[in-house]
Amino acid sequence: MPDVDVLVVGAGPAGAVAAWEAKMAAPELDVVLLERDRAVGSPVRCAEGVGDAGLREFANPDGADWAARRITRVIFQAPDDTEVVVAERGVGWVLDRTRFDAYLAAEASRTGADVRVGAEATAMARNGGDRWHVRVKERGQEEVYRARIVIGADGVETMVGRWAGLDTRVPSRDMESCAQYVLQGIEFDPDAIYLQFSDAIAPGGYAWIFPKAVGVANVGLGMVALKSDGRNARQYLDAWIARRFPNGARTGYTVGGVIVHTTIKKTYAEGVMVAGDAAHMINPLSGGGITNAMKAGRLAGCTAAAAIRAGDTSERRLSAYHDAWMSLLGEDHLKYYRIKQALEHMDDDFLNSLARTVNRIPQEKRSIGRIFAHALIKHPQLIPVAARFFV
Amino acid sequence: MRRVTPDTIAVVDLAVCDRCGLCLPLCPPEAIHLELNILTVDDATCTGCEKCIAPCPVGALAMAPLHPNAQLLAPVTHA
Repeated sequence: MPDVDVLVVGAGPAGAVAAWEAKMAAPELDVVLLERDRAVGSPVRCAEGVGDAGLREFANPDGADWAARRITRVIFQAPDDTEVVVAERGVGWVLDRTRFDAYLAAEASRTGADVRVGAEATAMARNGGDRWHVRVKERGQEEVYRARIVIGADGVETMVGRWAGLDTRVPSRDMESCAQYVLQGIEFDPDAIYLQFSDAIAPGGYAWIFPKAVGVANVGLGMVALKSDGRNARQYLDAWIARRFPNGARTGYTVGGVIVHTTIKKTYAEGVMVAGDAAHMINPLSGGGITNAMKAGRLAGCTAAAAIRAGDTSERRLSAYHDAWMSLLGEDHLKYYRIKQALEHMDDDFLNSLARTVNRIPQEKRSIGRIFAHALIKHPQLIPVAARFFV
Repeated sequence: MRRVTPDTIAVVDLAVCDRCGLCLPLCPPEAIHLELNILTVDDATCTGCEKCIAPCPVGALAMAPLHPNAQLLAPVTHA
């Protein structure tokens, strides 16, 4: 029965960063990072877009093989295809997640964490003691790890959260059902990401084009099933692609869920913390979660190291992790969530007219703040949205 | 534990399911499990609420009679 100090379940961005932060903060600790799948980073369940500043806190994308494409423009598309270009320097990147996640796991390994692929946690119990007993299936064998702290970085379906008694359920209205193809041989601006908003195309969400190279992009959408006309995400996507890129070669395909909710009420328990998608730490407006997950992983890893050194892995001690997350980003997500709720009432006609209003602002002066101000003057129905942002 | 036994419960078509895990947090009684790459619905826990059905991005979940022989008991409606 292996004895470990920190057992991290899930080797995505949250888990890898949690493992390396714990190990760097307290090198004497035994840190194990488990990955259920046979390869870290695969299968990709992500549109792979990430903001520049957040990414650079953890990894340098310049010249990195895991950075597929640098993005300098965002093109918003109205339901009628009217384009609104917002250009900013250093907007972000489209990653190659299979390489990026492997890079992060290798970094965790470099700090001394033990990375184990094809190792799936299947149950976990406290059994009255001060350690968690975690059953792990690895290459047909079953082992029980005894861990002082378990960090659940096990994604949307988090079982660690469930086993620890945390409420990780999500209401249907806050679950985006997503489908995506990798399309090759299509025409678009390879320095831009495209976001198209329309109830007819992606009700309650948006459709995206995220370039991976010239002529190659992740083309997908997220929608809320409650607003669907009866079709599922893949059917909506097939219809959109048939119109926009009928000749694109579909060389990859993925589906998944993005939780556009706010952080779960409690992200910790005795000897447990959950981080990233598992704790619903996703920007509810954009659906972006990579840098959020890494930031949460950093907090969880540092909290774990300090707690073990202090000989106190109690729920009370680990609540500091939750507080730190809420101050860092969790409170912002509450605000974004209110904006998301207000935006839900905007219909396609309104979005078309908003796009035309914004296009009257010269492109070089088109900052988000100015767009917002113009939009408020021309479209007073947005005032409640603004009010929600500032309240 | 559910209070009322539903007539129909969620079932997964594993030939269609992509194992994305989206349905797990949608299930109020936490009846859906994903282990060793197999999605299962616990028929003793599922309340038949259907919250997992429409959000599945590939349509892998559907409602089916809880009792496997329920179809035999149903009246024949076609000639």
